[in-house]
Amino acid sequence: MAAAAAGGLRRAGWRLWRGCAVVRCQLYPPQRALQASAVLKRVSDEQKEPLASSSQQQFDSHPTDHRPEQEPQGPRPSYTGQGGQESEDYESEEQLQHRILTAALEFVPEHGWTAEAIAEGAKTLGLSAAAAGMFHSDGGELILHFVSQCNTKLTELLEQEQKQVQLGEAEKKSTDQFLRDAVEARLRMLIPYIDKWPQALSILLLPHNIPSSLNLLTSMIDDIWQYAGDQSTDFNWYTRRAVLTGIYNTTELVMMQDSSPDFEETWRFLENRVADAMNMGNAAHQVQSTGEALVQGLMGAAVTIKNLAGLNQRR
Amino acid sequence: MAAAGLCPCRALLARCGGALRVLCGSVRGLATGPEMHFGFQTVTEAERREKINQVFDSVAKKYDIMNDSMTLGIHRVWKDILMHKMNPSPGTLLLDVAGGTGDIAFRFINYVRSAQERQLQQKLKHHQNLSWQEISESYQEGKFKPLGDSQVVVCDINKEMLKVGKQKAQHLGYSEGLSWVLGNAEELPFDDDKFDVYTIAFGIRNVTRIDLALQEAYRVLKPGGRFLCLEFSHVSSPLLSRLYDLYSFQVIPVLGEVIAGDWKSYQYLVESIRRFPPQEELKAMIEDAGFLKVDYQNLNSGIVAIHSGFKL
Repeated sequence: MAAAAAGGLRRAGWRLWRGCAVVRCQLYPPQRALQASAVLKRVSDEQKEPLASSSQQQFDSHPTDHRPEQEPQGPRPSYTGQGGQESEDYESEEQLQHRILTAALEFVPEHGWTAEAIAEGAKTLGLSAAAAGMFHSDGGELILHFVSQCNTKLTELLEQEQKQVQLGEAEKKSTDQFLRDAVEARLRMLIPYIDKWPQALSILLLPHNIPSSLNLLTSMIDDIWQYAGDQSTDFNWYTRRAVLTGIYNTTELVMMQDSSPDFEETWRFLENRVADAMNMGNAAHQVQSTGEALVQGLMGAAVTIKNLAGLNQRR
Repeated sequence: MAAAGLCPCRALLARCGGALRVLCGSVRGLATGPEMHFGFQTVTEAERREKINQVFDSVAKKYDIMNDSMTLGIHRVWKDILMHKMNPSPGTLLLDVAGGTGDIAFRFINYVRSAQERQLQQKLKHHQNLSWQEISESYQEGKFKPLGDSQVVVCDINKEMLKVGKQKAQHLGYSEGLSWVLGNAEELPFDDDKFDVYTIAFGIRNVTRIDLALQEAYRVLKPGGRFLCLEFSHVSSPLLSRLYDLYSFQVIPVLGEVIAGDWKSYQYLVESIRRFPPQEELKAMIEDAGFLKVDYQNLNSGIVAIHSGFKL
């Protein structure tokens, strides 16, 4: 009976901890929840030791934690020696899902973008392999998670660069150099997974993944242009993005076929394509100005002919 | 003392967002107190248990044949879909509650076996130039544990059903990684945090206190473990619903009488389906038990539904 009561308390604490952050901080120190998150945290930190058994022991010992003399008073106890914010990691389902997916990336080179990789990832967090069932079985969520993670990393990188430029620590790059470096930095993030990347691309092209994958692609291209200093809101906006998207995607394809050391060929290809795009821009500009000059010349000629023919005379 | 211990935790729960739900839960608990339903009859809890036990005692022998004839064999597809949804990896520990005749257990074993084989083949593909010794070693490994530590525990409250399941297992040659336990879903004879997956296929409807069964499911699952429930549910489309009712009330008891010689039991089966809470209500109950990411999938526009939830 006492065990049942403790079990009830435990469940209540668990839900309470998830449900209302405010109440619990003020009145009821949720030490069971803290304990649990601390345990999970510890488990995820010490990935090498056999996880299932250790986590089980920890969980079994919970009812005894409810003795009043152990009630933590005042500030949160730090079981892991890390900040309280760290133990909040399990607060939302989504954060947990992100953690699982991040842990799963480690197993992608071995298992591919599959439910098996996710299961292995969940295991390293001390969870059951069955937790992989939370995600779509084609592994699309894992890939999208990876892509968005890479995009975030790229944005951080570009932001850092921009700051350095603003502080005068680095010189501002020319646009073509900037684009080349940004795309290269982004593509280099794929290197650890390059063997499995063709599989990822094919999964991203499945109908139900297309909207989110396109969304991620366009936002990344957007970010690159933004940091490159593009402020245009006219028609040019679209062409610039279309061109960079083209460059990114073709280079990605080249990269998958590339067997040269450190993907030299890919970077050369990238450089050429960016140069082409720049030339194209210049050429377009030239064509435009040539066209304008030509039109003006023709207009002038027409007026001259009119004048010569005497049509322009007003009598 | 236990009651005293529980009270403050009720109070705690009531304070946070789930207050309403908890209240609903307790109200439901009161309503289902002594008076229960058995099909369309109203009986006491003890009577219901007894009657359900009788039903399964009498149908056990013909259970599989009846399933095939009542659903025209579609129940096999439903169970396959459940297995596909579970997608167990080698090493999974499954608890199949109310799985007396082993339908889910045998499917699980087959699924894991083929998953294991696939993994082995992939591994072999990776190292293409293996010596013969390595190849034979890898096969021996595979032979040692074709299930890769996977185990399925079948738990059923009814002895007759378990007996049929055991005979079937013997007949079909399943022995490894399979165990049979006589137990009540409302108080499972297992430790906490034991299983990766908990399934209950066409069983939860016959459990007297569904809330207790769900709590037990939550208890025995490991963190990250999954709860899966396959059960008859409510048809949404009105036309199909009419047809379905006609079929269930006019055809199924007759089939029961003709094939199993038992009208009443099948009358009960049909009535209990109508009495069972619809999809959304069951989902709320599963959430009440503490499961997260609960959702359901309707099969055949709601004739059956698969509910899934995770202990996180």
